[in-house]
Amino acid sequence: MSASFERLIDGIVDALQSHVVPNSRDDFVRGQVFSAIYALNGLKLAADWKAGPLLEQVRLQDDTFAAVKRLADGMAHPELPATPRIGGDLLDVAAIEAMRDDGDRQLGQLLLWASGEGARAANRDVAGIERLLRRAICDQLKIELATTPKSMLEQIAGGDSGAAQG
Amino acid sequence: MQDVAKRPDDVSAAPELVRPVAVNDNVVQTALAQHLSRISGSRTEITSFGRKSSGFSWITYAFVARSAADGDRKLILRVGPPNGLFAPYSVLPQVHALQSLAGSGVPVPALVSSEQHGAEIGFPFFICTHVEGEVPAPWAASEFDPDRKRAIARQFVEILASLHRIDKGTTPFASMQLGGERAEVRAIAGWRASLARPTARYYPLLDWGGRWLENNCPQPPCRTIVHGDYRIGNFIERNGRITAILDWELAHLGDPHEDLAWAMMPTFNAGSRRLYGVLERAEVIDLYQRASGIAVSDKSLAFYEAYALYQAAAIQMCAVRAFEVDRFNDMRLAVMASQMPSIVRAFERALEAAA
Repeated sequence: MSASFERLIDGIVDALQSHVVPNSRDDFVRGQVFSAIYALNGLKLAADWKAGPLLEQVRLQDDTFAAVKRLADGMAHPELPATPRIGGDLLDVAAIEAMRDDGDRQLGQLLLWASGEGARAANRDVAGIERLLRRAICDQLKIELATTPKSMLEQIAGGDSGAAQG
Repeated sequence: MQDVAKRPDDVSAAPELVRPVAVNDNVVQTALAQHLSRISGSRTEITSFGRKSSGFSWITYAFVARSAADGDRKLILRVGPPNGLFAPYSVLPQVHALQSLAGSGVPVPALVSSEQHGAEIGFPFFICTHVEGEVPAPWAASEFDPDRKRAIARQFVEILASLHRIDKGTTPFASMQLGGERAEVRAIAGWRASLARPTARYYPLLDWGGRWLENNCPQPPCRTIVHGDYRIGNFIERNGRITAILDWELAHLGDPHEDLAWAMMPTFNAGSRRLYGVLERAEVIDLYQRASGIAVSDKSLAFYEAYALYQAAAIQMCAVRAFEVDRFNDMRLAVMASQMPSIVRAFERALEAAA
């Protein structure tokens, strides 16, 4: 999930208020929608919902940095962060997300380096680092996939009820 | 971003208008009546005005225009919102397409009016005729029998072949042909720039894969008009016939493999490798080659299948931006944003196959 949680809740509330409520003549439905809006606003205040997967991603990144450091010993490569990046202090979700995003940028620099002609010419073993990085980045995506619903377009195409037509 | 979807030259030519910051349906309806009254010279009343949930980018309205001169006409208005998916918008690709393809083998709605600089409505817009029929989605669970679906799928491929056979030099699209850098490579660079915007989340595989695509873009067998979003769900069907191909906003000149790869993307086919769930890949390619006279290259098709996923990822990121940064309130965009992990992983696999 990339859209921020608060913005997502705001968007749902706006969609309900602007498009569902004005087009509903049914008192019961309107009552349900107003209750849902109330609940969503409460959720916005209370939820701290994604620290776990983010921490898991950061740890996976750290493992990858450590592996690259080992394999790239003696090669001229982009800077690697000191690991582990998370100590005993508890961080809030925004700080962990920023750390994950920084880690992604560093992984990207490493991948561009490892797949570049210069690095390949200097050392053929760098191809193994490229494979390691690609696999690790895909594993990181799997963590996000575990908290992601099925593609909306596939749901539309697959005929799941209630899906919007695009 | 496809350079034709965002043409800075067109946008910068706009006069200094003070535009509303958001599209208000009541204001649009009133302005629409003024616009149609002015261009027809006959007082026009708008009835049955309402938003349609078609497309993710332009805001679509269906309405009836009533005037003494023309009676009742069912029309469609599409408005480019200032904070939409591909803002700032140009009407030119859609206008060029509807003008170029009228009376051709590619069925399209008839263009009624268009304004890049907004006129009475305040945003880029165009008006076209309403085409009777249904957008056959959700198609995979539809009650159509397989033979009917096969017939529609074959038409879908034959219409694509017709589009790619059109002599682009005789159409307004010819004006989009720029010298110098290849259009295909320029489009990839555009998407890379879009993904590199500071507000976009960084995905290492997209950065790496975008570079690979830009460095390995194949030479097209020919440059044709490319729809840019040719897929199941972007046409109207009635009584077993495709009556209109829709959503030409990404139309441009390019490699015809691009449309073929996009149409066969499993995402648009309920996860199936078969087009419309019924036509095998080899059958699609064979039918397309015979109908278009264009030889399909396995290597180019694999490249454009990877590029399709790259574009899909970039479009998702545009959706994130439109929803979160530009505050465009369409919940479908927010939902699109959550699909990045699966698209990026599929892109990595597709790139492996293309390399």
